[in-house]
Amino acid sequence: MLDLRVPSGWFFVILGAIVLTVGLLQPDLHAPLTEGINVNLYAGGPMLVFGGFLLIMAWRASHK
Amino acid sequence: MKLAAVDYVILAVYFAFVIGIGWMLRKKVSTSGDFLLSGRSIPVWITSLAFIAANLGAQELIGMAASGAKYGIMTAHFYWVGAIPAIVFMGLFMMPFYYGSKARSVPEYLKMRFDEKTRGFNALTFAVMTVFSSGISMYALGLLLHLVLGWDFNLCVLASAAIVLAYTYLGGLTSAIYNEVLQFFLIVAGFAPLAILACDRAGGWQGIVSRLPANMTHSWQYMGHASENPMGVELFGMMAGLGFVLSFGYWCTNFLVVQRAMAAENMSAARRTPLIGAIPKMFLPFIVILPGIAAVALAKMTGPGGAHLYNLPLKPDGIATDYDQVLTTLMSRFYPAGLLGVGLTGLMASFMSGMAGNVTAFNTVFTYDIYQSYIKKNAPDSHYLMVGKMTTIVGVILSIGAAYVARRYNNIMDLLQLVFGFVNAPLFGTFLLGMFWKRTTANGAFFGLVSGTGAAFMTWALTLAEGKGGIFGNLYTFPSTMAQNFWVAIMAFVTCIVVTTVVSMVTAPRTDKDMEGLVYGLTKIRHEETVWYQRPAVLAVFVLVLVIALNFWFA
Repeated sequence: MLDLRVPSGWFFVILGAIVLTVGLLQPDLHAPLTEGINVNLYAGGPMLVFGGFLLIMAWRASHK
Repeated sequence: MKLAAVDYVILAVYFAFVIGIGWMLRKKVSTSGDFLLSGRSIPVWITSLAFIAANLGAQELIGMAASGAKYGIMTAHFYWVGAIPAIVFMGLFMMPFYYGSKARSVPEYLKMRFDEKTRGFNALTFAVMTVFSSGISMYALGLLLHLVLGWDFNLCVLASAAIVLAYTYLGGLTSAIYNEVLQFFLIVAGFAPLAILACDRAGGWQGIVSRLPANMTHSWQYMGHASENPMGVELFGMMAGLGFVLSFGYWCTNFLVVQRAMAAENMSAARRTPLIGAIPKMFLPFIVILPGIAAVALAKMTGPGGAHLYNLPLKPDGIATDYDQVLTTLMSRFYPAGLLGVGLTGLMASFMSGMAGNVTAFNTVFTYDIYQSYIKKNAPDSHYLMVGKMTTIVGVILSIGAAYVARRYNNIMDLLQLVFGFVNAPLFGTFLLGMFWKRTTANGAFFGLVSGTGAAFMTWALTLAEGKGGIFGNLYTFPSTMAQNFWVAIMAFVTCIVVTTVVSMVTAPRTDKDMEGLVYGLTKIRHEETVWYQRPAVLAVFVLVLVIALNFWFA
């Protein structure tokens, strides 16, 4: 049966990578109330890590 | 609010994944049980998160932020007084009968315990309710996307319904549940940053407390009298109406959530599903309510130019506050392109999880409890699989119709609570007596349920609140529709209990042997857990201690 951690892991890896890339390429991009904070960098990083974590857990489960 | 290309890319990636998950699961569907019940094979961490996510629809996200801005931290009562105790009770005391009876749905349990007419009544009212719930969710989303992004209302409604239909049709309940977990993660990813940023900008919790009236930042201190708190509800109405009847009615008898737990792989997992789900559930107020409260504080702060940091959104008349737009206007103030796409996708995800939850509950109840029971008995299973799939399509179409009906009403949460007061509140009385008092008879349950539902309607029709109800006259005026809803639920519940008890006493009971596995005291609950922390009772105590601490913290 499909291990849900695989698709959701990939989803967050891709999502995190997109948001993180925006944060790296346009560090000055901000909304009216978030001046001086690179929101995309701080949010994209954890998403990427979370996706990676799910993938590692799924990989470990399939190699037991 | 304007979206950048990257935001559309994120939205597209999400759509591709939800449909992709449905596609990957399509081969698993070969019987009606696979399609409608997931074949009882899903791991407990998945059922637990789906249990929470199916309830976390768009109207919940939008409504909770709206209520946060309107009522303050008291809104958390919906979680810390309402949902959590009810969820714990469900897992601990009711799940053994749902799962152990091998019933395929809540109405089917009623048939096993009582008789055909109680099941028929419940199946019909439930089917109507799920269609309206998903319609309301769809309406909420369509309206919001139209207001915020200028997208066409009809297009939003039809396109999002088509995507939900695609993945539930392909993979059935398994696909709905799997996607609900992904949607749950996405909702957290999309809205937790908003809560953090908004709260931080408003000066943290202390900054919020210093800027708001005290009755918006304390959940318990102003509960003594209805006139002192922004909700217009007094302590008894809140505790009995919301805390006891409405929440227990919803979480313990609503097949939409019970179905998630019933899909678990064994009895122990089924009982742990609600208990584990309760842990993230109790922290959701920090993501869904806190931004609304912070918004009110931000509206009182000014920036360097003397301009307000944030203005509460107004309705088209330019005078009244449109609380339903608080969440999206906050997003536009805090999220740059990129994260804005994630937040918007989270909103879409919440809508889809809520709608798929309703559609998958609707097709199961229709197929097994209406079609198989009254229209065509004893057909081969492949026939019911086909009917289940067709019902999925019909359910989506009916929901779209309900969305247009809901367009005529404005306050989504009140309307939902009203419907639950009619349907779920008396049902909880029926279950409580049916599961825990073996003397309860079939006729008692049926007449109790019908008269309870009637009492709910009459209470609403004879009282007024904010101009609502009172179609048959006005015996009492409530300070708020919230208070009215709570009392509608209380009246329905009490009537159901009294009528069920009286009728049961004068009708013949069933033999004990007929009710094995269905009633407390006649059922041996097996304990399959080996590890102490996996025992339901241990988990329940842990959950309750945490939620009591939260209540004290924000009292």
